[in-house]
Amino acid sequence: MIRYECFEWMAPLIDDHLVVTSLSGQRVEWGHLSNREGNLLLGSMGNALAVGCGLAMALPHRRVVVLESDGSILLSLFNLPTVANLGPQNLSVFVFDNQIYSGTRISEPTATAGKTDLEIIARGAGIEDAVTVRDLETFKKAALPALTGSGLNFIVAKVEESRGHRKIQRTNMDLLENKYRFVRYIEKTEGKPIFLGRG
Amino acid sequence: MEPELASKLVNGLKAAGINFVTYLPETRLSQILPLMRQDEFFQLAPVASEAEGVSIAAGAALGGKQVASYMEGTGVFVSTYNLLTIAERFGIPMLLLVSYVGSAADKRNSFLYVRRGTRMIPVLEALGIEYQIVTDGENLETRIKDAVRMMHALKLPVVLLFTGEFTV
Amino acid sequence: MNRSACLESLVPHITDQLVVPSVSGQWIWGHLTKEHDGNLLLGSMGNALGVGLGMALGLPHRKVIVIESDGSVLLSLFNLPTLGALKPDNLVVFVFDNEKYSGSRISRPSATAAGTDLAAVARDCGISHAVEVRDLDSFKRESQGALSRQGLGFVVAKVEETLEHRQAERSTADLTENKYRFVRYIERTEGKAVFRGRG
Repeated sequence: MIRYECFEWMAPLIDDHLVVTSLSGQRVEWGHLSNREGNLLLGSMGNALAVGCGLAMALPHRRVVVLESDGSILLSLFNLPTVANLGPQNLSVFVFDNQIYSGTRISEPTATAGKTDLEIIARGAGIEDAVTVRDLETFKKAALPALTGSGLNFIVAKVEESRGHRKIQRTNMDLLENKYRFVRYIEKTEGKPIFLGRG
Repeated sequence: MEPELASKLVNGLKAAGINFVTYLPETRLSQILPLMRQDEFFQLAPVASEAEGVSIAAGAALGGKQVASYMEGTGVFVSTYNLLTIAERFGIPMLLLVSYVGSAADKRNSFLYVRRGTRMIPVLEALGIEYQIVTDGENLETRIKDAVRMMHALKLPVVLLFTGEFTV
Repeated sequence: MNRSACLESLVPHITDQLVVPSVSGQWIWGHLTKEHDGNLLLGSMGNALGVGLGMALGLPHRKVIVIESDGSVLLSLFNLPTLGALKPDNLVVFVFDNEKYSGSRISRPSATAAGTDLAAVARDCGISHAVEVRDLDSFKRESQGALSRQGLGFVVAKVEETLEHRQAERSTADLTENKYRFVRYIERTEGKAVFRGRG
């Protein structure tokens, strides 16, 4: 299983979800497959889960989808107990675990290539609905209720390293422009102001 | 901190509209926590690291909350990465309530804390983050409102560094 | 003559022009034409003429409109000989001259109250079509003429001081968000890339 085929399957299921991505190829691939106003493409590691958690708390009636990677989750493992205890019931976390620091050219293995199991860590942190999937069919079975239902879900998708994102043309929408688009989308769909300052 | 000062601080935050606070407990300002917890106006998010305190607050800000992150001074050092990659780069309005440990007016200053205080402002200036030092309760509500207005004007974090009477 | 009435008379003629307001009338204009993506909000005095000139030179097939005030033109009077020398034939400048520094609560008179004639200064700088108008009919005639003909237009509209702009509904779009909106409009209508960096 590769991440891109998971994304291809997920993209058409996105409706008014808010999708937060971490860095790396997934940001490029997701942005390419799903150019939606509800996308917040963060472009840094170790932030997506926490930002997604804050969003989910602020908008408890909206489904928030976080797209993470093993390297990024390992950089901010302290998020897991925090998210578990805050317990937002509208947050779906997908960790595409290729067991490699893949952006680094040298493809050094991450801890998940060794002894570390993110599902068990998540469960131990208190996220009960945590699963690991290893093929596309199982992924779909786990992901569908996470995208369409409720609850706090944590799906570790074991994927092969793929460098397909290097062939995709990257966006020239920078982080600030993405923020404005995202916030205006929330304002529009929630009918409330978020940016307060006026000139 | 005297209980009266703690409630003045909490009332000031409320008057300024702050309604979502991430925090990692510390000593000097800790009396504000039970006060905020009693008041349903505040949505509180306890965190395990100031790093995620900043990022969770950022997510909530984008969802329409008026946010603050409360931390010890050391938390600024821990969260510099998140302040830079999320709060500064995305331009998120956010109030940082920081107990200014190791500063000149810190009544509990010692060799344990002092370097955390003396390096604070160089780090904030390097990050390009605005700050105000607050040593007592005079005009506290106004000063908090000023900081909140500035954070919205800048769409950036603004730091309040609490020392002096707040560290008693 | 009233500035709002002048600005309202321009609105039906706005199609794909690029409009650069200085601080004069920026809120009124922004409100009147809030659907127009081609407004570039500068939010400062002394810049609109220079920026508008550069834009006219950069996009010679597009009409560029600059909305200026006496205080702002006086702050960058050196623009006028440059404008007269370069003579872009796709630029129209409106100067709303209320003879006052009106945003300053104290309403101090500007130099035009003491006799400085901006249209004459402009003509002496080589802007040969510069005219001054004192009533709405003349404004409509001169402005529509300037907008429809090829050639550098410069219309000084003598207006009374009003504080109407304080009632205008102000946008929460800040200068950065406005820049993105404006640039994406140029990209869309010109079919070329303006923002280059990708990430």
